Formats: sequence, C-alpha cells, structure tokens
Amino acid sequence: MLEALNFRVILEYMPLYLQCFAATLWLSALSLLGAILVGIIACAMRLSQSWFLKRMAGIYIESIRSTPLLAQLYFFYFGLPSLGIMMPEWVTGVIALTLNSGAYYAEIIRAGIQAISYGQIEAGISSGLSYFQRMRNIILPQPLGMTIRPMLGQAIVLVKDSSLLSLISIMELTRAGQMLTSDRFMPTEGFLTTAAFYLVIYYMLKVFSSWSEKRLVFQETH
Amino acid sequence: MWGFYFNELVHSLPFFLKGVWMTVAVSGLSLIFGTIIGFICGILRTSGNTFVKLIIGIWVDLIRGTPFLVQVFIIFFILPSFGIELEAFPAAVIALSNLAASFICEIVAGGILAVPTGQREAATASGLSGYQQLRHIILPQAMRTILPPLVGQYVLLVKDSSVVSAIGVVDITRVGWLAVQRVPEGLMVFGLVGLLYFAICYPLINLSSFLEKRMTVVSTRL
Amino acid sequence: MISFKSVNKWFGDLHVLKDINIEVASGEVVVVCGPSGSGKSTLIRCINRLEPIQEGELVVDEMAVHDKKINMTKIRAEIGFVFQSFNLYPHMTALQNTTIAPIKVRKMKKEEADKLGRKMLTRVGLEDRIDHYPAQLSGGQQQRVAIARGLCMQPKIMLFDEPTSALDPEMIGEVLDVMKSLATEGMTMMVVTHEMGFAREVANRVVFMDEGKIVEVAPPNDFFTNPQTDRGKYFLSSILTH
Repeated sequence: MLEALNFRVILEYMPLYLQCFAATLWLSALSLLGAILVGIIACAMRLSQSWFLKRMAGIYIESIRSTPLLAQLYFFYFGLPSLGIMMPEWVTGVIALTLNSGAYYAEIIRAGIQAISYGQIEAGISSGLSYFQRMRNIILPQPLGMTIRPMLGQAIVLVKDSSLLSLISIMELTRAGQMLTSDRFMPTEGFLTTAAFYLVIYYMLKVFSSWSEKRLVFQETH
Repeated sequence: MWGFYFNELVHSLPFFLKGVWMTVAVSGLSLIFGTIIGFICGILRTSGNTFVKLIIGIWVDLIRGTPFLVQVFIIFFILPSFGIELEAFPAAVIALSNLAASFICEIVAGGILAVPTGQREAATASGLSGYQQLRHIILPQAMRTILPPLVGQYVLLVKDSSVVSAIGVVDITRVGWLAVQRVPEGLMVFGLVGLLYFAICYPLINLSSFLEKRMTVVSTRL
Repeated sequence: MISFKSVNKWFGDLHVLKDINIEVASGEVVVVCGPSGSGKSTLIRCINRLEPIQEGELVVDEMAVHDKKINMTKIRAEIGFVFQSFNLYPHMTALQNTTIAPIKVRKMKKEEADKLGRKMLTRVGLEDRIDHYPAQLSGGQQQRVAIARGLCMQPKIMLFDEPTSALDPEMIGEVLDVMKSLATEGMTMMVVTHEMGFAREVANRVVFMDEGKIVEVAPPNDFFTNPQTDRGKYFLSSILTH
C-alpha cells in the first residue's frame, strides 16, 4: 500500500501541509485558552449561590452537551450573518470550538473541585494556614492533579474537533487533504498525510499527559 | 420576514423528519455493530495473546488520534481506489461503527480489568473454563462498570453521526445545511436542528447518569 | 496425595520457593506457617496451579501438575480452595455461589446441584442464609459459604489460604469449627494459618517456612514445645506475644 503512495505529490504539497498544521495548532490553542476560561466562568456560575446564574450555566452546558459540534458550528456560521454580524470564518470557528469545549471543561473542573473532601479544608484551617495559603497549597493543586488527564483528554478532542472547521472553508489540516483530493484527485495521499499530522499532535499530548500526571503525583507525595 | 421564513420552515418539517430518521438509522446501525465489535475487541484485549493485544492497541490509538471527519473521508474516498465502491450510507455506517467499536473496546476492557483478580482466581480454582469464567463471573460484574459509560458513548455516537453529512448523507445536519440555502435564517434553521438532536440525546444523557447513580448504589450494596 | 519433589519457583528474579520437598498423605491435615513473605501462600497456590512452578515435580492425586500439557480442569475439580478474602461472586446468592461450578464443570442438573448446595450450606451451618447475597452476610458467614462452595465439588483435597486472617476475632471460631469437623471426617487438608490452637488440635504435621524454604516439619506438639531451629523459635515467640 505504501509503495502505491505518490510521495512526490505529498512533498510538493508539504509547504501547504506545514502551513495548515500551524493553523490547526494555533486555532486549537486559541480555542483551548478560551474554552478553559469559559469553563472556569461556567463552573463558578454553576457552583454559585444565585439561582439565576446556576440556571444559565446549566442551560448552556446541557444544550452544548446534547447537540453536535457541527450543528453548533453551522448555527454560528449561518446564524450570525442573519443577525447582521459579519466576521471572518476563523473567528466563527474559534467561537464555536471555544463554547463547545468550554461546556466540557466546566464539568471537568466542577468534578475536580467537588472531589476535594471537606476534611482537607478543615485540616488546612486547623494547621493555621490562611485562606490564600489553603487555596494555593492544598485546594487548587488537588483538582489540578486529578483533572490533568481529563483536561488533556479534552484538549485532544478539541484538536480533532478543529477538523470540522474545514467544512466552513477554514484552511487547516483536514482542508489540506480536501485540496489534494479536489486538485489532483489523490484522496489517499491527501487524507493519510492529514491523519499522520493529527497523530503527531495526539501522541505528543498523550506523552505529555502521562508525564505531567507522574510529575504531579510525585509532587503530591512530597 | 421572520414569519415568512417560519412558514417555509414549517413546510420543510417532513424533510427534517426524514433527516431525523436518517440520523437514527446511521447511529442505530453503528450502535449495534460498534457494540458487538467493541465487546469482542475489549475481551480480546484483556484475555487474548500479546500480538492481538498489540494490534488492538494500535487500532484504538489510530482511531482516537485522528478526527472522525478524516476517518470518514478515508473510508469514503480511499476504499474505492482499492476497488471497494461504497455509497455514502454504508461508508457512514462503517466509519461510525469503527469509531464506536474503538471506544467501546476501551470501556469494556476497563470494566473487565476492574473486576478484582480474586474473582478470576476463585473461578479458576473451581475448574471453570476461560469462557465460563467470562460468561458467568467476570462479565456480569464488569457490566456495572461498563453500562454507564456505554450509554454515554451512544450519546457521542448520535452527535458524531452529524459529521457524515459531509459526504452527503442526508441526516439532520445535512437537512439543516440544505434548508439554510433556501431559508437564509441560520439561527432558526440550526436552532431547529439543535432541538432535534437534543430530543434524541437528552434522554440518553439522563439514562447514563441514572445508570451511573444506580450502579454505584448497587455496587456499594454488594 | 500431594507430593512436591525439588520444586522451585521464581517471580521474575525473586526466588520464592526454594527446593521444596514434602509429601502429604490421604486424610492428613498439614498446617503451613511462617512469617509473611515466606512463600507459604505460594506453596499451596501451586497445588492447583494458580501459580505455575518452574522446576521440579508436583504430583497431586497421581496427576502431574508440573506438566504444562496437562488439563488442569480435572485436577482443579478435585481440589477445593478457600481464599483469605473469600472471593465470593458478589452478583450471586450463597446457593448460586455453591452451584455454579457443579453445573458448569461437572455438568450436573440444576435441581441436583441445588440439592447438593443446600446440603453443603447446611453442613457449614448456613441453611437459613441460602438466598442471601454475599454483601448481606458477615465475614465469617461469607467464609463458610466459600468452604461450602469448595465442598460442592466433592473434592479429595481442601486447601485453605489464611482463611481466618481477614475476619474479626469473634468470627474466627465459627470458621475454624467447620474446618475441624472436616478434618475429623478424614478430608485431606493443607491449611496456611497462624491459628496455633487449631494446628495443635487438628494438624498431623506443621510445616514451618521461611524465605521460600521449608525449615521444619514436625508434629504440632513437638514444634510448639520444642522448635529445632532458631528461626522457628523466633517465629513462635513473635506470634505468641500477639
């Protein structure tokens, strides 16, 4: 199968692939930052005392979780213009990815915070630590250690989800495969190369995930 | 204008219901195939020989490491170049079953590994064969761990099925995409699309968390 | 009935059984004791090949357990095994726990197996707990179900791997009583335990192990009153102070 691949064409398109690889990376990174921010806010709303904020966060999280990302993406892509809001495709893409992953991050963070036992807080108080010392040294490191795997897992999902942006004509990895398919009709070369680039990101995040987990566990035992 | 578009949309409701049917058909078939293949692979992964385990591990990584959209394109565009001509519908079912199987494989393997080793030892000591152990001792206990994430996986399956609209399967998302060409009211059209997915997914999400609560109660009782 | 000849076993680099030689006759009760990590549990787990041995000969009821090609199912059906942590099947009632192996391995009819299961549960004093799930039983009751489960295969040998060490003190007696009655009925038994009272009363011989070796084999009275080795003396003094 490998000898059937036309490596000359792959090489010829390599600059495009690298450019698209970079695009996938920064689109994902931007959405990731936004998503964690949105997740923290939504989680804080959900854990707040206000009935209204709780309800709003609940509706946001539930509606994101029970509809597909592609439908959300089209909702913004076709919906915002009908409100008279025009923006470049990539902004629409990043908004959709951010809001989508944000809902999942809210749940991950909430699970992490709720897993801390009250005994930990009491232990912190009784050993005379101040509020900030307790937060910094006892409370926050725990959900961080526990949620690092689901956090990075969601990051992997986000990178893969960014492939849907190709469907609203944003130049990224999957789009590069589509170009090779439509320009030269070489889908095999096109999509296998695309897949290989995604696998690189996947394995890097996977290795980072197990490395950081080990490191955090190590710190906790000290 | 809104009133006019709304009427248009009401007129295309039968079209949307056909889309719902298609989404249910694609996800339903993939759910059946994915569950069967996933269970077989999950069992092999925990009890098969090292080579089989390695192959399954690589397969799971390849599927988890690449976006579903790219997998759909590979199956739809590349298999024909090996002489396997596929319509969009079977290509979609194959891609989605494959995706579901890889995730269910991990869920099943995790569930089996969560059964304490003493259970297998006790069954071995009383002379039960490998198959008998699996059938009567291991799987019935593993199902408590497997069931909640399995139903959660079915929710993902329905949502991921929206991606096959990219190769022209006329599911809910594709109907929305077609409708928005005629009724340029994106918020309304994809609001409806979202509602239809919500109607399918929300009960499943609730079933999953219900099972999760119930299984925890049951397993603490036992 | 059970015969170890120059048996050696390793876990990776760790040499856990070193040149084990011992014979257990039919109807004999042998208690195996020793400090933790001495290899005593491994010793009896080898008998039904829960752990495979790497060197030597291990023959049980004229069947060669060391032979990799031999079908273990038949041998295992002849040997009842009772675990420290009971290992009852949590999704089955006491009766189902005892009948699953007779039905599946011995191909017994369900009614027949139920009758046998009831008989064995009655024998261990649990006739009123037949339809209870393990979680509804106390530790002592669970361990007695586990013994009944082993007896239902009508075994020639019963092996016990620290059957009382996971139990609360007030429940130890009920389990030991069942084991004593088995011993008086002539069952061949190998018991890993620290219950020295039980050993004194029931055992024909005590095997003392340390660091993977059999250090002493003696009738219980001799071993307890006059251990021949320093390690045996040290071990006895350490459990008597408990």
